[in-house]
Amino acid sequence: MPEAEAIRLAQQGNAPAFERLYRLHNRRVYSLCLRMVSNTAEAEDLTQEAFLQLFRKIATFRGESAFSTWLHRLAVNVVLMRLRKKSGTEASLDEMTEPDDESGGPRRDFGGPDLRLSGSIDRVNLQRAVEQLPPGYKSVFVLHDVQGYEHNEIAKIMECSIGNSKSQLHKARMRLRELLHEALRDKAREDRKAASEGSGGED
Amino acid sequence: MATNGCKNFLGRLDSWIEGERPAEAKAHLRDCASCQTVIEDLSAIQIEARSWNQLESEAPERVWTALRAQLEQEGLIRAEQPEREVTPVATSPADWFGAFFARIPRPVLAGAYLAILIALGFALSGPVNQPSNEAKWLEGTRVVSSPISAQLDSFEQSSLANRDLNPAITASLHQNLAIVDNYISLCEKSVQEEPENEVARDYLYSAYKQKADLLAQIGERGENVQ
Repeated sequence: MPEAEAIRLAQQGNAPAFERLYRLHNRRVYSLCLRMVSNTAEAEDLTQEAFLQLFRKIATFRGESAFSTWLHRLAVNVVLMRLRKKSGTEASLDEMTEPDDESGGPRRDFGGPDLRLSGSIDRVNLQRAVEQLPPGYKSVFVLHDVQGYEHNEIAKIMECSIGNSKSQLHKARMRLRELLHEALRDKAREDRKAASEGSGGED
Repeated sequence: MATNGCKNFLGRLDSWIEGERPAEAKAHLRDCASCQTVIEDLSAIQIEARSWNQLESEAPERVWTALRAQLEQEGLIRAEQPEREVTPVATSPADWFGAFFARIPRPVLAGAYLAILIALGFALSGPVNQPSNEAKWLEGTRVVSSPISAQLDSFEQSSLANRDLNPAITASLHQNLAIVDNYISLCEKSVQEEPENEVARDYLYSAYKQKADLLAQIGERGENVQ
């Protein structure tokens, strides 16, 4: 059943059409949730909530935007709402990013660390760094760099300007770089400590 | 060490990442190790992040199970209808009647048949223009009601046999049948006591018809369940 037909039938309450739409999109929505919260149980819960909201509102879908964009907007909102509840604030998307310098431009990172990330990044340490990003940065990073959305699509999903999407992504990447460098330095420090303890023990 | 060139380059980093390669930026990057490191780092992050996309997996099946239950509970989706047999297009009047009756569920046909039998039986048993005769009325009623009762009993057995219904629904149906059976017994008793009372006979007719309707409904529900 093509997506357009499934949408039309789902708007009439047809059960197989709901399932078809779920099967078509659950992978992307679940992955988005999983990357955002890094917890499978919570990602499952959020996926269910996103689709529930989708199906509650499907009768109002008029096809003005792509169905997947509409679904992702719902999913991102569901995730951000959850993260806001967790942090105990009712902040807007802008407030969920880190304070910037007075120019409003990207944070400058001059004279950065000597260590290079190339060859030392793996899934685990990148995931840990992503977990530490503010929710707004995290959303744009996951949508663009992980899921491959373009800035114009992200602007629709996040209901922001294209410029805002680019700016958020830039800040997210630079912040990730900082976090990964911190992790590398910590690891290097621990390695040195372990090495010195090892050599001291041998003496 | 950061220079104004670094500031300019990093200020336009987005454009560089998106593929723009102005000569000035190229020249700066060729001579600046610090900015080269930034570009290499961001590329490494992007490559690792993009590889996550290949790890995408379906949500576990329990998510759909729970979602579907919630949708049904909220009445957002209706239960699936079993597919009916496709009736061939009729080409002659005989085929047309055959096709017409083929579309009607068998229990409904059986119920209709019983209703017609009941109505016909009562019409023939009431000697409207004949002189009043209690024995004749009683005999007429017995002659008609006995086969109807037998037909209803047979229909009841076939309607309830092999039906895989919800226990709660089955209990409710049995309760309704017991009420109708009790009503029929009362009506039959009244007719026996007053064979000439047309109101009593009408009540008995109505009671039989109620039971026929109820059995037809049970049969139809059972078909849908199966």
